[in-house]
Amino acid sequence: MNTPMSTHTRTNTRLRDSEFTFMFQLISYSFIIILSIMCLLPFLLILSGSFSSNESIVRDGYHLFPTDFSLEGYKMVFKFPTQVLKAYGVTVFTTVVGTTLGLFLITMAGFVLQRKDFKYRNTFSFFIYFTTLFGGGLVPWYIMLANYFNLTDTYTVLIFPGLMTPFLIILMKNFIRSAVPDELIESAKIDGANDFRIYFSIVLKLAMPGIATVGLFLALGYWNDWFTSSLFINNPDMYQLQFYLYNTMNTITFIDQMAIGTGITLSQDVPTESTKMAMAIVVTGPILFLYPFVQRYFVKGLTIGAVKG
Amino acid sequence: MRNKTIRHLSLVLALMLFAGVLAACNNGSGGSTQGSEQGGTSGNKGEKVTLQFYMLGDAPKDLPVIESEINKLAEADLNVNVKFNYTSWTDWDQKYKLLLSSGQPIDLIFTADWTFYQSYAKKGAFLPLDEMLPTAAPALKAHVPDDMWNAVKINDKIYTVPSTWIEYVTEGIAYREDLREKYNLPKPESLETLEAYLEGIKANEPNMIPIADSNANHTYGIRQLTSKLVNTAGQLPYGLDIMYDTPSTVTSYWGSAQHLEDLKTYKRWMDKGFFPKNVLNVKDTSNSLLQNGKAAVVLSGENPNKFNADVIKVQSTHPDWKLAYFPYPNAKGFAQPVHPIHNGFAIPRSSKNPEKALAFYEKLVTDKRYNWLTEYGVEGKNFEVDNGYYKMVGDAQTNGFPREGMNGWAWRNPEFMLYDKTFDDVLTMFEDLDKIKKPDIYTGFAEDWTPYQAEKAALEQVEKQYLYPLNVGLVADVEAGLNTFMEKAKQAGLEKIQAEYTKQWQEYLKSTGIQ
Repeated sequence: MNTPMSTHTRTNTRLRDSEFTFMFQLISYSFIIILSIMCLLPFLLILSGSFSSNESIVRDGYHLFPTDFSLEGYKMVFKFPTQVLKAYGVTVFTTVVGTTLGLFLITMAGFVLQRKDFKYRNTFSFFIYFTTLFGGGLVPWYIMLANYFNLTDTYTVLIFPGLMTPFLIILMKNFIRSAVPDELIESAKIDGANDFRIYFSIVLKLAMPGIATVGLFLALGYWNDWFTSSLFINNPDMYQLQFYLYNTMNTITFIDQMAIGTGITLSQDVPTESTKMAMAIVVTGPILFLYPFVQRYFVKGLTIGAVKG
Repeated sequence: MRNKTIRHLSLVLALMLFAGVLAACNNGSGGSTQGSEQGGTSGNKGEKVTLQFYMLGDAPKDLPVIESEINKLAEADLNVNVKFNYTSWTDWDQKYKLLLSSGQPIDLIFTADWTFYQSYAKKGAFLPLDEMLPTAAPALKAHVPDDMWNAVKINDKIYTVPSTWIEYVTEGIAYREDLREKYNLPKPESLETLEAYLEGIKANEPNMIPIADSNANHTYGIRQLTSKLVNTAGQLPYGLDIMYDTPSTVTSYWGSAQHLEDLKTYKRWMDKGFFPKNVLNVKDTSNSLLQNGKAAVVLSGENPNKFNADVIKVQSTHPDWKLAYFPYPNAKGFAQPVHPIHNGFAIPRSSKNPEKALAFYEKLVTDKRYNWLTEYGVEGKNFEVDNGYYKMVGDAQTNGFPREGMNGWAWRNPEFMLYDKTFDDVLTMFEDLDKIKKPDIYTGFAEDWTPYQAEKAALEQVEKQYLYPLNVGLVADVEAGLNTFMEKAKQAGLEKIQAEYTKQWQEYLKSTGIQ
């Protein structure tokens, strides 16, 4: 690639400058393009796999374009759309409710813990921090939720355990400390605002970038959660989306591994390769469409914090 | 002053709110195990209770329908209700452990040798049934033959109700018969003929993978083809060798001359291209590779039942193909039917109503109405009886309750069983295997790995890292590779494990009087 010679007469430095920017842009653009392709290719493989017949996948592997076009995968998925839709509903519900509730709790906790006039803030911080170092392990946690709180097969169990994580509380605490000056709170107090008023009118507004970040963490956590369903949910109508998929895949591996010596044959229809791919598309599709519209809010929210006005 | 009171008030309020949140969580599924106060019309059956019934796997779509039908019957007969719970196959082993160790009320749970019934029973996870059986479930006690009751005993106590249907899960070689005829290859019935068959496939069908087994599972098959191991699955844990005819002699297969020779065979197979180069990463199941014509031979996991499923599948998609089967028992000279432990139901220690649970399970096994509902679904809606055969209504896609959709392997009752027409071939295979039947002397053994738990976990890692590549011939120098593996395994504590296992095995032989 040669740089096009400019016909205008310019000073040497100017020319070098423009050449430099051109080269820089060329390199950076190609770099980004290559990266994007690397991200897109696997997705294209899944897409083409979902439109191929199962047999062609097993026989000749995946191709960028379906060698043997067929819709059987999608037919399988939408034979019982209710299950996929229900799982969708559960995941959307837990994500929305869990994220909003969690944000309220985490910001409140962060706000209180950074207040200098709160006497026991170090004690409380220690309690929260302590759990990150020493956990009880899976069994006590399970017994607590299943036997003492009786949360098996409730929507609560999908939301409650993920509401507050120590890491996010500490993050929020530090963020509020840097974003909300103590003097501001002092002056609000003098003007007659109580703690809740300060929290709602001042802290929440000033901590917006932090809230966006933490909210993103929370939402992702809820969206990708399958473990809770796996442990506490017996009713297939209440499975989270990720677990619904993960479980379908696991059934296949189970049959393969446990076949030795168990003699089990399962009567249900086992999803084929193309069905798996179709499922992946059905599940990620809506998010893909949604993301470009939501993305600008993320960018906005995350950059607010960059400029200290 | 006023400010202070407000602050106190808001604190109290906040606390109350928080308590409210917790309390709200509490009435989720509380009271599921206590019986409801009303509905106990007949006083002699006591208060109505809801039994918690746990089974592995995924629930069939029509489970709620079946559950309500069963509850109608159970309420009239025993004044109980049942809640059928399914664990799904995701992390089922972990969940099983949690269910039994957390102490939540469970009244009936599935047991099998592969869910480690023996060690759970030894640890006291289940209630002993000996005293309960004659009073709570006399018909069930009579239904199961005495030798089966004895076979499931652990420390002289019965902890599970075994299934009485005799089946075989012995394995064999499933292969493409049409290709064998087409290229005039020998029948794969010994190591030599198998190799010749694979060579023929490789030479004539360059696009096929000759061996379909993923995860180096073919070794299980080869061991069954070439030795008379005491167990059906073709490989004893920790690389031990115990032969059926001489059970008291325990040797180490790992590191033996035979082991080296086998590994050299696998190396040769890899060099000849019988495995794909990425065999350890292949995620396709061996069956799907066979069914779709990508592979020609499956060496492990093909029991009669599974092979039959393959045949049916291939007939519907490729009627011109033919599959054939060589059972390993024919090479071994004997076949072991499944041990009674293989399918059973136990009552966990946490059960609140063990007698009622047992009485209900008796109904499930010995009452045709219960049994058919839970094995085949609603007659006319899910299945029809056609000339004594089971016939599914619709197909597996549309039917909400396929045959044995509740995974009811444990409460099969030979008197009521309905078979699909396609199952006739399996029954024929079973009859052939019956002719060379010998009792299973291995499954009754309850291994207790607490003395070497840490070593066991370490050894599993070593096995994956050093033995798997050897099994598929990916190590250039087989002998050096085997030495490395043995060295690492010894570091992980192989000798301690083997000695302890041998000791326990010898004790088991003594206590049962097997020579």
